[in-house]
Amino acid sequence: MATKSVNMKGFYRERKGTKGGISKNSSPKRKKPSSKHVSPITQPAPLISHASLDLKDDEYDKNEDVLRQFDMNVAYGPCCGMSRLERLERAHRLGLNPPKEIENLLKAGKVGAECLWAGRI
Amino acid sequence: MEIDSERNLQRKQATYQSLDESFMIQKEVYKGQQYSHIYFARLHFMRTLLYSLVPNWKPHLPVCTILGLEEGKECIIVGTLFKHMKLKPSILDEYSKERSVTSLVKPHNFVHIDDCLILEDESGRVKLTGTLLSPSAYVTGIVAAVHGKDSGAGDFVVQDFLEAGLPPQVELPLKSREDKYVVFVSGLSVGSSTSNPLQFQLLVDHITGHLGDEKEQGIAAQIVHLVVAGNSVEIPYGLLNGQNLAAKDQSRLSEPIKELDILLTQIAAGIPLDIMPGPNDPANFALPQQPLNRCLFPGSAAYNTFRSCTNPHCFVLDNIRFLGTSGQNVDDLEKYSEANDKLEFMERTLRWRHLAPTAPNTLGCYPFTDRDPFLIESCPHVYFVGNQEKFQTRLIKGSEGQLVRLICVPKFCDNGVAVVLNTKNLECHTLSFATQLSS
Repeated sequence: MATKSVNMKGFYRERKGTKGGISKNSSPKRKKPSSKHVSPITQPAPLISHASLDLKDDEYDKNEDVLRQFDMNVAYGPCCGMSRLERLERAHRLGLNPPKEIENLLKAGKVGAECLWAGRI
Repeated sequence: MEIDSERNLQRKQATYQSLDESFMIQKEVYKGQQYSHIYFARLHFMRTLLYSLVPNWKPHLPVCTILGLEEGKECIIVGTLFKHMKLKPSILDEYSKERSVTSLVKPHNFVHIDDCLILEDESGRVKLTGTLLSPSAYVTGIVAAVHGKDSGAGDFVVQDFLEAGLPPQVELPLKSREDKYVVFVSGLSVGSSTSNPLQFQLLVDHITGHLGDEKEQGIAAQIVHLVVAGNSVEIPYGLLNGQNLAAKDQSRLSEPIKELDILLTQIAAGIPLDIMPGPNDPANFALPQQPLNRCLFPGSAAYNTFRSCTNPHCFVLDNIRFLGTSGQNVDDLEKYSEANDKLEFMERTLRWRHLAPTAPNTLGCYPFTDRDPFLIESCPHVYFVGNQEKFQTRLIKGSEGQLVRLICVPKFCDNGVAVVLNTKNLECHTLSFATQLSS
């Protein structure tokens, strides 16, 4: 895996180089610092790397994992644009019998109220 | 007011109950949700309904999801139809480098011979083929059950098609009743160059019983309700050019509404009236359109007989259920499908059990998250659509004895025609006001 990412970086740098070569008018002085700063933005970290969710920077426990599974379950409909509790209540109203576990978790608080994608898209 | 005739005519009364609640947007908050929720709610409701119909339709066939289709195996699938249309305008066309192939003759709608239907559910989508289904009659957004089999090439060969059919109806009370009339009018377009103030005044005078002899007044006294189905005013939008309005222009802008208010006040003083917003009215654009603000009508809003309603509008009058729109749903169906007349579009929406199947695809619609307000769960007795070219009406019968009166209400400003419905037998006729000024 590590070699792969190195390869990717190498590839990226190479492309930048050729681009600089074509546009000769742009001064190389300006180019150098910008390429360093821009590269993490143009090549964002993939969401799922090494088969685990790349969301480790925020609090992420077992409960959150269960709730994320609930978010991703198509049987209860789309999750964007509504809170988890609203989605649960909709599922109740439509007679979909959402798991009791989710309800307990959400009613108890202490877990994220918004769905997996809230604020990320 | 003095009564000079000996016989004192008493206006008839009717019980009224508004059922607009489901079309009201009150507690909804926009949180960036997209339209997928509406399709989810629609598919869920309609699929439950269709699954209950399938055992009576084809008891021997299994029901599959689209992902679970197997090659050559006959089965039933239920999903939302998507109509792929070559001529449907796309915002991206502006940015495409190659000019799209558009014919020089402009067609009246976006239907093309190459259109095809695709069925979707949560698991996937499949193209519907076969000669049974003609795509021109269908639009995106309908939920239906399809019987057929996978052709192996990724297509589904349709052998039979089931739509939900007319919803169940509360039986019409059959006890011998008296003649009571409901008047429908739409497209008053007060303030437009085509509207004739005299025609509208004659309509007001007729309804309020200020016109004609005693016999005619006797008929007018039997009018119990008036429905104004959209496009009541035409605001001079030319004035709104992004600049600050001069005081003189400000009064010009509100002139049509003031004029409408004066006339509606005369009606509201006599009989109950419902006013629905339409595409040209100063209301929100997306369906369901919310009631016109009462502040716009300082005169008529003082009467409790004046009701500002939503579009679509649903109410019960003397146990007769009315449902209607200001015309957007049928006008949009006409752009994306074909039928012999407007009444056929109306009939289809009832059979599909959906007032506006093309919302939110091509018809503006509020992004509801928990429901689809346009599903028709109970069959109306009278179904009207405003702002149409001409008056048309038909009585349709459902398989379970449902009886529905369909009415296309013409634009009043075109030729002064209003529609009168007798609630005794659901019979319908026009009320035509012709004025010939010395020409």
